[in-house]
Order: sequence, then C-alpha cells, then structure tokens
Amino acid sequence: MTPVLFAVLLFGSVPIALVLALTALWYIWDSGNTVLYLSYAQQMFSGVENYGLLAIPLFILTGELMNEGGMTQRLVRVARVFVGGFRGGLAYINLLANMFMAAIIGSAASQIAVMSRAMVPAMTREGYDPGFAAATTAAGGLLAPVIPPSMLFVIYGVLAQLPIGDLFIAGILPGLVLAMTFFVVVTLIGMTRDLPQGDWMTWPEIRIALFAALPAFLIPLAIVGGILFGIATPTESAAVASLIAFVIGWLIYREIRPRDLGALFVRTATNSSLVIFMIAAANVFGWVVVYEEVPQRLAALISTITADPFTFLLIVNLCLLVVGMLIDGIAALILVTPILLPIAMNTYQIDPFQFGVVISLNLVLGLLTPPVGVGLYIASAMSGVRPFTIFRALWPFLLAVALVLVALSYWPALSTALI
Amino acid sequence: MLYRLSSAWARIEIGLAAVMAASVTGLILLNVVTRAAGNAIYWVDEAAIYAMVWMTFLAASAALHFRSSVAVTVVGELSGAAVKRFLGRLVDVAVLAFALAMVWVCWQWFMPHELARAGWDIKAFQGNTFNFIYAEPTNTIGLPKVWVWLVMPVFALGATLHATANLFHPAPAPDPARPNEAIE
Repeated sequence: MTPVLFAVLLFGSVPIALVLALTALWYIWDSGNTVLYLSYAQQMFSGVENYGLLAIPLFILTGELMNEGGMTQRLVRVARVFVGGFRGGLAYINLLANMFMAAIIGSAASQIAVMSRAMVPAMTREGYDPGFAAATTAAGGLLAPVIPPSMLFVIYGVLAQLPIGDLFIAGILPGLVLAMTFFVVVTLIGMTRDLPQGDWMTWPEIRIALFAALPAFLIPLAIVGGILFGIATPTESAAVASLIAFVIGWLIYREIRPRDLGALFVRTATNSSLVIFMIAAANVFGWVVVYEEVPQRLAALISTITADPFTFLLIVNLCLLVVGMLIDGIAALILVTPILLPIAMNTYQIDPFQFGVVISLNLVLGLLTPPVGVGLYIASAMSGVRPFTIFRALWPFLLAVALVLVALSYWPALSTALI
Repeated sequence: MLYRLSSAWARIEIGLAAVMAASVTGLILLNVVTRAAGNAIYWVDEAAIYAMVWMTFLAASAALHFRSSVAVTVVGELSGAAVKRFLGRLVDVAVLAFALAMVWVCWQWFMPHELARAGWDIKAFQGNTFNFIYAEPTNTIGLPKVWVWLVMPVFALGATLHATANLFHPAPAPDPARPNEAIE
C-alpha cells in the first residue's frame, strides 16, 4: 500500500516534501511501529541540523547578487576577449561566459535565467537562429551544477556524508570536459550551417574589458581557491563570495543598493527553504527506505542482471534520465541517493565521488527535457523563444551530455583524480 | 477572513525567514573574520545552523500558503481543466492532512498537557513521562534546546492555518504563461 500511496501523491502534484512526509506517516501506521511518531518531528528537524547545508542559502544569495550586480555583462565581455573573433564567436562567448558563471553560481536554473536574458537577445541581433541561441545558453547552464560551487553537490554531500569541498574538486575535471564537449558541438554545428563571423577586440578594448571584470573574478577565486587550498570550508567560502558579490555590485559596479538587500534575503529564504525542507522530509522518509530494506532488495534484483560496475552505472543513467524527466533534479537527487548509493558502494565498489558526479549531471539534464523541463521554460520565458524550438536545437548538446555521462561512468579517474 | 489571516501570517513568516537568512550570512561571516583573527567564537556555527533551520520551516509553511512548493506537475499539465481542478483540491486536502498530522506529532513530542498536569514542574513531568525534551541542552549556546525545537509546532500550526484557509479558497486557474519556478 505504501508504494501506491507514494505514487498517487507524487503524481497527484502534492508538494514533493509532503509526499515524503505523508508516505512516512502512513508507513509508520501501516507497519505498527507507532513509537516512531514520538520522534517524527525531531527526526525532521535533525535532518537539516547540518553545517554543510548552510552553503545552500549562501550560494543562492550569491546567485541573486550576481543577478542584480551587473557582473554578467562584464564576464560576457571578458569572454569576448578570448573567443570573440571566431566564426560563431558569440556562441563560444556564450559558453565561456557560462563557464565563468558556473564558477560563481551553483544552480543550473538560475544560471539559465541570468544567461538567457543576457545572451539570447545579443545572439539573435547578430543574426543567430533564436532556437540555437537559446539552446546554447540552456546547455551552458548545465555547467553550473558540475563546475564548483554546486548546490547539487552540497545536497549529495550531506546525504552521502562526504566532504563537500572534495565533491566540489571532483566536479572540476568533469566540468571542463563538459565545456570542451560543448565547444566541439558548436564547432560541428558551425560546419553544417553558416554562423555569423565575430570580430576580435582591439587592445584598448581588451584592457578595459579585463579591468572591468577583474573584481568579478574575485568571487570564483574565493570559492574555488578557498576550498582547493583548504583555507575555508565550502560554507565559509560561500559567505565570503556573497560578501564580495555584494561589495562589488554596490561600491564598484554601483548596481546594487543596500536597501535592495531585504528583497534579496526574502528570495534567498524562500528558495533555499524549498530545497532544505525537502531534505527534512527525506529524513523521515529515510525510515521507510531503511526499514523496508529498499537498497538491499533493489541490489539483489540488479546484481542478477550485472556484476559489472560500468553496466550498473549505465542502467542507473538510463533510469535516472527517465526520473529526471518527471521529477525536479534536486528532489530526485534527495529521493534516489539514499537508495542507490549503498548499492553503488557496497555491491559494485563504485567511488562515491564518481557516483555523485554522474547522478548529479544526469538529473540536471532533466531540466532541459520535456515534459517538465523547467530550464527549457525558463530559457523560453527569458528569451521569448518557444520551448519546442529550443528543444529542437538542443539535441546535439543533449547527445554530448549523454556521451560525457558515459565517459564519466567508464573512467572514475575523471572525477577522482584531483581529490 | 481566515484567508486574510493566513496571508498576513505568511507575510510575517517570510519576513522572519528573511531575517534568519540574513543572520546565517552574518554569523558565517563573523566566523570567518574571528577565525582569521585567531579568535573564533565557539557558538557561532550552532547558532547559524539553528537560524537556517528556522528559516527553512518558517518559509516552508509560507510556501504552503502560496502553493509554491516543488511538485511533480506533469499529470496536471497533460490533462484538461477538470482534472487539474480535481488535483488542486486533492493537494489542498493532502496538505491539510499533513498539517494536522504535524500538529499531532508535535503534541506527542512536547506533551503540553502532561507538563500542565505535572504543575509545570519539569522534573515531575520527566518522572511521569520519561520525556526529556525540556531538559535537553544545546551544545554551545547555553539555551535549552526546546526553544530551538519550538519551530516545529510553530510550523505545524502555521501549516494548519494555511491549509485550512486554502481549502476554502481554491487556487485560481494556473496561468500557462508562467510555468513553475525552478529551484536548482
């Protein structure tokens, strides 16, 4: 009965956190283990009483400040310095600027929103096909949760009890590989159709562009550098990054005023609560998973199919692509990690860092696939291009992500080499 | 009337949650500064965590009022207006069921009736119930933990208020031009 209730609530569009909480309530009743009700609320509370989770509101705040602080335009201009002169220059600029942004923003959806507004109109003006422009931007957004910092990695780290700093480092190589793959895709597309010629900047322009963006580069430096050299925890570096973002946006770029902070904190609180509350609910749902021995049963089933870790990862990838199409990436990660990670680690001896990178990238892909590809709708809303048009131009990028997923599944070193 | 009360309370919840979000930022920055100065304050991390938990549950309750929680909406999106309306009502009922259950589990946890029966004497209460919720300390703040845990009943009551109000105030037909906000 419990799985039926779970499915009915989930697909009945009940908020996912409540699906988890109600399923757990029902399961406790059904299994007669009613003493668990006494610690139910406490269990929910303790599920989020976690130092690592503090990074979530801080990264969301940094994203909001980036959004308001005029940094995007300046990063785009710097990207122009490096790749602006190629044929299809703006498409490369778009991807490179997305890489910079990914080192500051930890969430694909907010990055797609920021970058679509900045890049799609500019590309369309220069004669790019609007669908291609929006698709390139949306694909670039997928770099956000892989290149550190990453909200998905924070959540996975908390669920898997792994050091979040190491997870961030694990994302660096896969992020670079993914970005390179996107550059190749744009080059290949450029061979089949005529992309507009870009032009190189003059020396004085380059100097101005680099100088203007210099303060903005302090943010990724604070985040990645702080973690890489062990100076700060991810939480602390997120706080420092938000402070830098605010000071730069306020005093140097002069696009944020201190009185805007109230609205920013409101958005930070509401958006991070959506995520953290799901984790709280997942903690009581964890009882169902543990008492019903879901991982053990599933492991027994899967291990009859294959004993090979790579095949297992391919199966997981296929299943999660479907899950990601139906369920929001963070919610899906919260749901599947406690079930799949024990199988991956205990039955197949897969490195938990590799597993985290693979499933995070996989689930975030769901942002761009119908029927609930939220990223697709965001890109559409911000750029004015119809979701279907974007999706049609998106498939080469999706294929590229699929290839990267296979590569990440096959070579654990891609994720673990730097740790 | 009920809906107005629910709206007002949701606004207060959001306001407090924003204050908590600002506190989280301030406390972690304070930690960075004091640690860099070699003079870390020991209670800051724990305080920041509790501020985050309060922020979460306050804003989560408000999200029930605004019906803005993350949900799998694919069935509603692929079906007609009647099904969508039915699902909307189903969600309202499910939210109320959850909220009432939360009130009940919080009651079981805090046992205010037993505390009153013990004449508000915590030792007597513990002797009667073997419930040590009122004796549990926080690690570093020096406050009984029950004050921090209090966010759970606050959340439960807020959720009940919002769920009841929403039950009598069905959601308007969704605007297809504005798909769900994403969080990731």
